[in-house]
Amino acid sequence: MYDIKVLEEEWKKYNKNKKKPLYLLLGVLCLIAIVSFLFYQNKNFHFDSKMDTQNINTIQYPKSNSVVLLDKKLSEILVESQKISLEDEAIVDNVNKNNIKIPTLPIVDDIPLIDDMPVGKIVLSEKPKIKINKKPKIRLSDKPRKKIHLNIVESSKVSAYSDVEKRFKQSHDTEDSLFLAKSYYRKGNYRKAEYWALQTNKINSSLEESWLIYVKSKAKLGHKNEAIRILTNYAKRSNSSAAWNLLLKLKK
Amino acid sequence: MKSRYTAAKNVFIDSIDIDDYIELSSSVTAYKQLEYSMEKPLKMILLFGKPGTGKSILLNRLQEKLKYKKEIYYFDTPTTNDKEFFHKLFKVLTKQNLPHNTEVNFSALVNFCKNLRGKREILILLDEAQMYSAEMMEKIRLISDTRAVKFVVSLHKTDDEDLIAKEHFQSRIWEIIELKNATQEDQTSYVHKKLLKKHLFEIANSIKEKNMSLIHDFTKGNFRECNKIMFTIFEICEYYDEHEPSKIDYEKIPDRIIEMAALKLGYINV
Repeated sequence: MYDIKVLEEEWKKYNKNKKKPLYLLLGVLCLIAIVSFLFYQNKNFHFDSKMDTQNINTIQYPKSNSVVLLDKKLSEILVESQKISLEDEAIVDNVNKNNIKIPTLPIVDDIPLIDDMPVGKIVLSEKPKIKINKKPKIRLSDKPRKKIHLNIVESSKVSAYSDVEKRFKQSHDTEDSLFLAKSYYRKGNYRKAEYWALQTNKINSSLEESWLIYVKSKAKLGHKNEAIRILTNYAKRSNSSAAWNLLLKLKK
Repeated sequence: MKSRYTAAKNVFIDSIDIDDYIELSSSVTAYKQLEYSMEKPLKMILLFGKPGTGKSILLNRLQEKLKYKKEIYYFDTPTTNDKEFFHKLFKVLTKQNLPHNTEVNFSALVNFCKNLRGKREILILLDEAQMYSAEMMEKIRLISDTRAVKFVVSLHKTDDEDLIAKEHFQSRIWEIIELKNATQEDQTSYVHKKLLKKHLFEIANSIKEKNMSLIHDFTKGNFRECNKIMFTIFEICEYYDEHEPSKIDYEKIPDRIIEMAALKLGYINV
């Protein structure tokens, strides 16, 4: 075999050429993928641009610098929910255009809680369906949105409090105990308010609110002198204006 | 010291040596078909197929097997002139040499054959019959008409010319046996059996199914082409074994070497 080197060179060339279609195919596939991606992107852009520019709002949230583009109606709902407002309003422009009267929901101060719903949970409720005699043809993009009410509801049910108490026993979360102290204080159950404020202080002695509730509960229970003594100690330690003000009130 | 591939290379030197005959399922079928046809009262049997499909070796095998049972003759080299052919035929029929400076009288030969009818049954295997002239084929036909001599005519099937369509074959050939290119399984079996016959077990084992698939693609199942590529593959292996052993894998034949052999033989090009 005298021509092996020549043969090797030929084979190298052959192998290179053999792989050419493969590389070409890969290139074409990549190109197709890129073109498809760009086309898809472009399509999305057109879709967005077709939307009514009047319906686009830019909301700048005060706490963050991010800018979010939202549908006008959706943004209204979100703003509404932020304010925890129960205000009602028209739902869809299209419906309005057809002069269809939409029943507005009354402002509800106290929505009854679902039995197992813990206190302080956000309850979502749907607006009742609107009955329209004449069914106007509504395009998909113009479909009325369901209005969502976000209400923070405080429950006065005993079971709700016991749920929070149970949870506190497991988690020792001062937010739960402070919540209980405040709730009981508001309801006039000063003994329980005193107990839960004390529990809060045991876990975190720097929470001013719990100290104040504890002192106020003590005073309400008739232990005014003890309350003043405790509050004086706390006011000196923390130098809190709220504590000093309360001390003045108690001493009057 | 001789390379292990030298012996392997020599296994694939193309020949029609009966010792090299490898029994494959396709060739066994063709052989049985041919043997069965010869028992029939036919004047001529056509064995055809593309070059390298194993016609010659099949005829050799037939002669080898039947030589003690029948009066069978194998005409391997075609003669281009009548004179030479009829000298050969005269010798076969009369079992005598033609005296010097004499020529065969064709009519006398036909008459002689007629006299042989019922006494002797002579079988003549004509290889490469496409090389015989039409005139000579006509004379062969006349001899076969005496029913004392039966011919098995082996022909190349070519792409541009369908020889079976030729007039003198159309009317006289009673049985046609076609040999086709080997399937990949048959070709694999052929290569392995050939190597094992020479006790080259390790080398046979180094030729994997994938290698055979590639070889079959290049040779299209043709035995002669297969012999050629196998010879070249082992020739390259032999070179590497002797000069650059790092370039060879003794466990399996690399595709690179098969492709190099194919390039050398012109099955593929750069």
